[in-house]
Amino acid sequence: MSRQRRRIPVLRLAWRNTRRNTRRTLLTVIAVTVAVTAITFMFAYITGILGNIVNSYARTESGHVRIRKDGYSERERLMPVYLKVDRVSELLSVIREHPDVEEAVPRIRSSVLVDGAGTNRPGMLLGLDFERENAYLNPASMAVNGTPPRAGFPEVMIGDEFAEKLGIGVGDTITVLGQTAYRSLGGLRLVVTDLASSGMSFLDNSMLVVPLDQAQVLADLPDAATEILVFAHDAALAEPLAVELRAQLESIVTGDLEVLSWLDQGPLMRTMQMMRPMLGVVMGLMLLMAGLIIINTMLMTVMERTQELGMQAALGMRRSDILYLIVSEGLVIGLIGGVVGAILGSGVGIWLEHTGIDFTAAARGIDLPFQGMVYPDWQPAFAVVGLACGVLAAGVAALYPARRAIRMAPAEALRQ
Amino acid sequence: MNRTTIAGVGRGAVVAGVWLAVLTTASQAQLTPRQILERVDANMTMSTARVTAQMTITYRDDDDRILIYEAWAQGTDQSFLEFTAPARDAGSRFLRLEDAMWIYLPRVGKSVRIQGHMLRQGLMGSDFSYGDASENPSMVEDYDAVLEGEEMLEERRTYVVDLTAKRNDLAYQRRKVWVDAERWVPLKEERFARSGKLLKTALLSEVRRIGDRWYPFRIEMDDALQTDTRTVLQMLSVELDIRVPREVFTLPYLEGGE
Repeated sequence: MSRQRRRIPVLRLAWRNTRRNTRRTLLTVIAVTVAVTAITFMFAYITGILGNIVNSYARTESGHVRIRKDGYSERERLMPVYLKVDRVSELLSVIREHPDVEEAVPRIRSSVLVDGAGTNRPGMLLGLDFERENAYLNPASMAVNGTPPRAGFPEVMIGDEFAEKLGIGVGDTITVLGQTAYRSLGGLRLVVTDLASSGMSFLDNSMLVVPLDQAQVLADLPDAATEILVFAHDAALAEPLAVELRAQLESIVTGDLEVLSWLDQGPLMRTMQMMRPMLGVVMGLMLLMAGLIIINTMLMTVMERTQELGMQAALGMRRSDILYLIVSEGLVIGLIGGVVGAILGSGVGIWLEHTGIDFTAAARGIDLPFQGMVYPDWQPAFAVVGLACGVLAAGVAALYPARRAIRMAPAEALRQ
Repeated sequence: MNRTTIAGVGRGAVVAGVWLAVLTTASQAQLTPRQILERVDANMTMSTARVTAQMTITYRDDDDRILIYEAWAQGTDQSFLEFTAPARDAGSRFLRLEDAMWIYLPRVGKSVRIQGHMLRQGLMGSDFSYGDASENPSMVEDYDAVLEGEEMLEERRTYVVDLTAKRNDLAYQRRKVWVDAERWVPLKEERFARSGKLLKTALLSEVRRIGDRWYPFRIEMDDALQTDTRTVLQMLSVELDIRVPREVFTLPYLEGGE
């Protein structure tokens, strides 16, 4: 006579079990929720910080691709204007025709001496095409008070902290001395029309922004600039775009340009890219800690029920069924906590993505392209990963106490 | 006996004469380092000077740049310098009065006073700093000296003198100078930072006589921190100890010119 296998509705049983001791379940669910919330939010937060640095760096420094005269990188520290990109308008129109290019902007960067109210200080002069820079360096967004300098006029916008050190304000006239393309000394008188605060201390402490044409006059650079920054539709296109532009521009200006994607300009961005896997390790450790909390709580929950499990075994419930039951309970708890945690973490992430976290005070002290406001970058994948981690950790965590329970002889379990 | 004595006296006189000669040579060889510096200062520090010079800046990977300037100097701390060529730099002027320097560029139309570390920047991108080009300091006053020995340099006997700054605000805290032992002109100089790092090397040559002084007509300067350039200053005309109009060393002259 074959004995028909009983089908135990394990999942339904597991669900019912979770409601038997609500306090116990709630404790475990809370542990999972906290862990998953933290994971989901931290992913968004760290991605936001990395994005902030990369984005600030691209907008202020590197573009997605930067074109400069060959050899500029080695002398970058000196900001040599004699290493110039000629025939800028022709190059710009060729670059802007490339389908992957969103915008290309010329800039002149020059180390200058600024003479304010009787004191002088070294500064960094940036010559910009104000209109085209709106989506990039965006000088208008940095304006504190006054009006931005107009193309064709000897006007300047100056970092607010720098202006304070020079003892000048809007309406004052400053004298700027700097190197020319012929390596001699050039100078300009400029009227301060605006003060700037970018939240990036390295800019606010030394920056002067003038219309491109004024920088061209100062440095003797007609139809020339020290760099062209290219912004792609997507930063991920930067490396192949650099290769294509290099080939394309070679035919116009033979062989003396340096065309580099943002990843190839100095060690900072490579380091940032390398930090992602490193942060993966940190996140892994966080997951492990969250897992341990869940395991600990689950262990407690199952241990508490040793007698009950012994009873079930004595009544003839199969060991595999008991194991399955406990693990299912773990998964159910993991699922509840995971869903709540993912929703909470995402909620906080999305909320702060809109409002931002203000690190302006802390950012003042650091010499990185880092904007004071950090906006977490929430992505659906972070919620899915958080949820999966919660469910998995709870399930795995239930395994050990479950195995321990079923290995016990029913009589011994009952005695405990 | 007398003859002997006489002969003896005669020999004694000869011996004494030889000794005197030896002693005289020795005393000249044993100049103190301070005396060497005093002689250099006496030769190189003039009451006034007017110099026209051609400055050639040689770049490792670019064409040479040639500039011409006229300079006036008075004492150790007043000088005026105006570039006359090429056309794009003509009219750029520099006035040095004690520790301060003013720059005037025709395009700016107003002088700018520069101080401190700016004086160590290269004059018109050359290996000479604004300070190098405008200072004529007294070595005795500014430095303690140690005589390291003698060396032959370009077939000239030189004293090698090691100088250590007496004050912290001097651009070069240590200098090693090869001084021509007869004409009291430095023929070579190495200038160091406080850390001992070599900042500049100068080679002075074409030493010519002007009145009772010796003056180097060619100075080659190499700024060790500015690795891709070398600058040669060739004097085209040098007039020493002449009358200099007093207004040259004033701001109105700097800004107005005439």
